Amino acid sequence: MGSDEAYNFVFKVVLIGESGVGKSNLLSRFTKNEFNHDSRTTIGVEFSTRTIQLKGLIIKAQIWDTAGLERYRAITSAYYRGAVGALLVYDITKHLTYESVERWLKELYDHADPHIVVMLVGNKTDLGSERSVPTEEAKDFAEKNGLLFLETSALESTNVETAFHNVLGEIHRKVSSKEVTRGSISAVSLASPIPRAAGDPEEKKPCCKNL
Amino acid sequence: MAKIENGRQSADSISIRTISTSHMDDESSLGSDSEINGFTNDRHTDKYGFIGGAQQYSEQSAQDVPPEVLRQREVKWLDMLSNWNKWMVKRHKKVRLRCQKGIPPSLRGRAWLYLSGGKVKREQNRWKFEELDSQAGDPKELDVIEKDLHRQFPFHEMFVSRGGHGQQDLFRVLKAYTLYKPEEGYCQAQAPIAAVLLMHMPAEDAFWGLVQICEKYLPGYYSAGLEAIQLDGEIMYALTRRVSPLTYRHLEKQKIEPILYMTEWFMCVFSRTLPWASVLRVWDMFLCDGVKIIFRVGLVLLKCMLGTREKLKACQGQYETMELLRAIEPRYMQEGFLVREVLEVPVSERDIEREHHVQLKRWRKNRGELHCKSPPRMHGARAIMASEPPSRQDLRQNPTIIVKSLLPPPQPTPQLKKGEKKGKKKGSMKKTPPVTEIPNPYNLPGDPQLPLRDPLPQPTLRDSPVQTPLVNDTPLPNTPKDSPLPQQPALNDQPALNDQPALNDQPALNDQPALNDQPALNDQPALNDQPALNDQPALNDQPALNDQPVLNDQSLLKDSPLQKSTQSLSSTEADHQDTYL
Repeated sequence: MGSDEAYNFVFKVVLIGESGVGKSNLLSRFTKNEFNHDSRTTIGVEFSTRTIQLKGLIIKAQIWDTAGLERYRAITSAYYRGAVGALLVYDITKHLTYESVERWLKELYDHADPHIVVMLVGNKTDLGSERSVPTEEAKDFAEKNGLLFLETSALESTNVETAFHNVLGEIHRKVSSKEVTRGSISAVSLASPIPRAAGDPEEKKPCCKNL
Repeated sequence: MAKIENGRQSADSISIRTISTSHMDDESSLGSDSEINGFTNDRHTDKYGFIGGAQQYSEQSAQDVPPEVLRQREVKWLDMLSNWNKWMVKRHKKVRLRCQKGIPPSLRGRAWLYLSGGKVKREQNRWKFEELDSQAGDPKELDVIEKDLHRQFPFHEMFVSRGGHGQQDLFRVLKAYTLYKPEEGYCQAQAPIAAVLLMHMPAEDAFWGLVQICEKYLPGYYSAGLEAIQLDGEIMYALTRRVSPLTYRHLEKQKIEPILYMTEWFMCVFSRTLPWASVLRVWDMFLCDGVKIIFRVGLVLLKCMLGTREKLKACQGQYETMELLRAIEPRYMQEGFLVREVLEVPVSERDIEREHHVQLKRWRKNRGELHCKSPPRMHGARAIMASEPPSRQDLRQNPTIIVKSLLPPPQPTPQLKKGEKKGKKKGSMKKTPPVTEIPNPYNLPGDPQLPLRDPLPQPTLRDSPVQTPLVNDTPLPNTPKDSPLPQQPALNDQPALNDQPALNDQPALNDQPALNDQPALNDQPALNDQPALNDQPALNDQPALNDQPVLNDQSLLKDSPLQKSTQSLSSTEADHQDTYL
């Protein structure tokens, strides 16, 4: 079904954060350019892909989304497997969702690859008047913890592209700088780091479908 | 405007559901909450209440049962419901068969309540719901619940309005549950379950239905740790090996853990996966036979999508495989096909229990003890009934609207009493205009037309066990006359309240007033506790049921065919003629 889409990389990125912060809409905004006030509660796992061009390379982003509610954390280990990037999302108008960021980080490091690229995302900037998390505060926290940081609005489509591009770019940077050996970024993904010359040893392509 | 796919808008747009209070009208003329900004009239609502094609209703795949057959089934179900204990104890196989054929829409809510044991629970806990309903609830839980209210079936007209009746009831039911089981709290997957129930019955009934599903059918599914669902995932995986080894090997190779695809299927009992007609059929069977139905549906879907070499060739990776499982081909989900396949899957309760045992052992070995010890699950209505034996009283149907027979009553007639709508509709008890002589459209040929004595037919209860005021064997389209049909909701067959004879397949199920236990016509004047008629939006347009002309009288005649049929427990008649599956 469908021809081989040429891409250089496949990166799995997960969306995490409290229930209701906007993960599903960030996903739909990025992969389908859609937003829905009444998107269904995520139960189980949702995912979507989008292919982008970055530094002359074609990168296929596999974005995974899951339920934010506490008790769903019990089933997330399968979800984190093979993830090389994560967007940790909170709602700038709900301070509680920001307060749980530390817990989410711990969860992330417990289950995911230690070299995973993490961006802290403050979503819902369109509701600026109801802001309860100061930008500077979150930015400081991110810096202290080695996280990327951006504030976004899935509704208005502000910074969503940038957020994903930055994460994907940083992942690529890590991968190609051999800061991490390929083996430690588990499972999914690396097709080949450079365009293959003829005669290169066959690499197993995990996904050869044009999605 | 926005194209809807499966409940999701597929175009970037501001929500079509912006609220404007001027449009929120408790007694809007449409009788539903779909009058809101942005909803233009060309947005078609299907017969289940879904707007714009959400939940995949299509004319082509619709499997409409002919009205005559529906009528027959209704009679049978009414009989069963009035003699529930007998049927469940002595003729359970027949009950099961009828569930497999699909419960007639007009009786689905009531049947579900009986099957699940919710009816019994409700009777045994008369004031419980009211008590829970009046309490405040834990703010933390409420916060989460509130976030979810507009995210369940947002394209169903019952739930489309923020703050509308549907969402209010959803809130009440979910809140009540967190109060009922504070140690459980709220789990997001409970919302779709409650929503499906609410589409068929009022809040109190839906609450007890939810209780039964969470405690009896699927214990532990919604509890912290989600251990039960993970275990079931492992059971499912093991069963796949037996039912479709090819599929199993593929899933194994691709490292696709069950939890990655079966979570939403199982936790929501497929209500978010299948076309609505199929959802209802699955629920009919599930409430009768328990979790094995869910396993079987899952296995059918797996096998259909991943069961052959060609199909597997087309998905080389984990991602592709999962994508395939999320985009099941419509033909595999079609009602008829799916039910037939489900009935063929060689998986029994025993298989499930056995595998459960195996997987539990494995779990303990790898992960230690379960944190959340759930009680053993009940594999269906019969098991539930056996574990919670009802009294005769518990099973009695308690109508709130009873239509009087015109034959001289041997007893004093109780007052006609409409179920109390709990304050949601202000004083919409319509005054009934004096009724002039209206020919009875349900006459059997040769029956006399009895004139009305009063303008207000008062209810009476006869000793006859006959149930229905309507339903005879005459195919209704043939019946007469000057058709004041619009004004006659058969008491158990609620029409769309327009000018339809509405004796056909049930339109939006949420139009049904919750006359669930209607029409008893048993020996009881129990008029009280029906919470019914609560927030059924359609009730606004319902002619006060005492507008109804005398639908009843003839069924109360001793020698009506109905009388005969209901007295028999044997499946005489046309069970064998009813081959619609």
